[in-house]
Amino acid sequence: MNEITHAVIRMKAGVLAFVFALLGGFSLFIMTVLLLLKGGQNVGYHLNLLSNFYWGYEVTWFGSIVGFFYGALTGWAIGWIIGVIYNFIVTSRNPQS
Amino acid sequence: MFNGIEKNTPDSNIIIGAGPAGLTAGYELSKLGQKSTILEADKLVGGISRTVNYNGYRFDIGGHRFFSKVPYVNELWNEILDGQFLERSRLSRIHYHNHFFDYPLKISNALVGLGPVESFLVGLSYAKSKFSPTDEEKTFEQWISNRFGTRLFNIFFKNYTEKVWGIPCNEISADWAAQRIKNLSLSEAIRNAFVSNGTTKSGEKITSLIDKFHYPNLGPGMMWEACEGILNDFGSPTLKQQFVNRIFHKNGRVSHILTKNTRNEATEYSGSNFISTMPLKELIFSLDPAPPDEILKAAKLLRYRDYLTVVLMIDRPHVFPDNWIYIHTPEVKMGRIQNYKNWSPDMVPDSSKTSLGLEYFLWEKDEEWTWEDSRLIELGINECAALNLIQKNEVLEGTVVRMKKAYPVYDSNYHHCVELLRQYMGTFENLQTIGRNGLHRYNNQDHSMLTGVYAARNTEQLEYDVWAVNTEQEYHETDKATAKTGDRLVPTKIPEETPADGFNLEKKLKEQLKLIDSFAMGSAVGLVSGFLLFFATILLIIKSGQQNNPTLALLSNFLPGYKDTLPGALIGLFEVGIGSFSIAYLISSLMNWTFTLYLSIIKRNSEIEENKTILDKV
Repeated sequence: MNEITHAVIRMKAGVLAFVFALLGGFSLFIMTVLLLLKGGQNVGYHLNLLSNFYWGYEVTWFGSIVGFFYGALTGWAIGWIIGVIYNFIVTSRNPQS
Repeated sequence: MFNGIEKNTPDSNIIIGAGPAGLTAGYELSKLGQKSTILEADKLVGGISRTVNYNGYRFDIGGHRFFSKVPYVNELWNEILDGQFLERSRLSRIHYHNHFFDYPLKISNALVGLGPVESFLVGLSYAKSKFSPTDEEKTFEQWISNRFGTRLFNIFFKNYTEKVWGIPCNEISADWAAQRIKNLSLSEAIRNAFVSNGTTKSGEKITSLIDKFHYPNLGPGMMWEACEGILNDFGSPTLKQQFVNRIFHKNGRVSHILTKNTRNEATEYSGSNFISTMPLKELIFSLDPAPPDEILKAAKLLRYRDYLTVVLMIDRPHVFPDNWIYIHTPEVKMGRIQNYKNWSPDMVPDSSKTSLGLEYFLWEKDEEWTWEDSRLIELGINECAALNLIQKNEVLEGTVVRMKKAYPVYDSNYHHCVELLRQYMGTFENLQTIGRNGLHRYNNQDHSMLTGVYAARNTEQLEYDVWAVNTEQEYHETDKATAKTGDRLVPTKIPEETPADGFNLEKKLKEQLKLIDSFAMGSAVGLVSGFLLFFATILLIIKSGQQNNPTLALLSNFLPGYKDTLPGALIGLFEVGIGSFSIAYLISSLMNWTFTLYLSIIKRNSEIEENKTILDKV
């Protein structure tokens, strides 16, 4: 297994960003929609706190769309930064590979 | 002193040695319309694949099963012998301390033979080799022990291998094991795990040498005697008992060679192409003028194992059912016993008799090598009786055959030395060295033949690399052909590396099957998570301008000391950073571990299948 155990994967930051963007966007969208479908008093009290960071976001049908974009944007940034930092560290630790 | 020099009519091709490689080269040249003169030092053709006839009893120098994954070699065999092959069932066992062990090894049989205590210890040893293998695999001992455990190595490999090679297993290069015993490629293992259904890559049904093999009814020598006849009819004679004494060369070209016969009469042979199958060491020392000192030193370091067989004629129709028996019992010197009658019933002149070949692997300098035949026969009878195979009074007669330089030795020097000699030989335009001893490579008959084919075709200005034969770390008995040897063999030219070589599964897999750097992943996730919380907290502080904002306050339940203050943000950065690092590191490590374990299991299972016939390759 040497050929595997000695090989370290490099991330494609763009791909990682895209995947995180999808996850982030759809997660927030689905969470918002689920709370709306559930209904009741003070719908999405805790999730509404995200409006502190995501201006324009609220637990409404329109807010779910806004949340999708914010979630995707945040996910994209997180994925891309993780990819870049990971690759930087891998390259530093394996300068010849 | 030579009695004189007789000028021989020049032939275009001079072949030194009438073994499988030399005769195949002559045969291939004849197909190309070229005549040749083949010079053989012995009285018989076939080299180590000869069949000796003693009062109607025929016997091999070792056993030679006819099986090749090289289709062109199969074609040649059938052309030369016109399909006169028997299909034989194979049975071989291991004799160790008065027990016969099935070979290939079967667990139940081995456990019964070894007994409960030894079996338990073997199990422990095997487990140790799995959980704590030797890091490096430089020696044969390390290579085998890592796969079977030290105790199994000592029982089933050490004695026999050291008998055969005369070298402690911790001095035998692991290269040898890698060449003789197939080490599965990663792609092969994965392919086997997912799509193997008893077929090769090309979809051919896998047949195995484990159970059956082909054999000429009068032994392998029949093949080479027939080949000699065909070549003679073509006008390419084989001249026997011609010892090559000098090979004269100038400006990178051999001009002529000088031989002497048993009467010390010298003959000179000139030609335009020279193909040698003589041992590489002897070839180098025959060159005139002599090569540089460095080359001579390298040649001098090459070693060969010698072989001696004591053949006993037994007055009994059936002695044992095996084709051969591996003798691991350390109390006797013999390494293997052949029962020629079980290879082919035509190997004995009288079906009520049996002939056994007791194989001894020696160095020429060993005392036994110089023993009188009668003393060796007595040794053989005593050892067979000690193993309870025969009664001494059943032996009708015996004979001895000695074969010098039967096996090239893979010691710690050989690789470097052979590489030097290979480079030096490359400086000759019209001299090629081929065959087992010519290349100092432990080739089987079919690989040696292939080098002959290549050499013959190289006389037509083609460039086939004879040194590339049998270097794929794959062994054809496994029945899994490589692209190079398993497809219909039209010898391939020396490959030139081009970017458009097409899809390479092995390369692609190695590109894809990589592990995550857990530290890097942990660090990246830790940094991003920590700073995300830090900036979120700072943002809240800036935005609200007040403390105790409920938005992130709940996090203090999980992050001791965290608050929506600047010091709290720093504490959160630190705690989330450490926590996220740990989680990401753990997940990455688990993923890597699972992935590696899975691939290891695939590869291990495949290797177990491959190594069932490991002793055949020793």
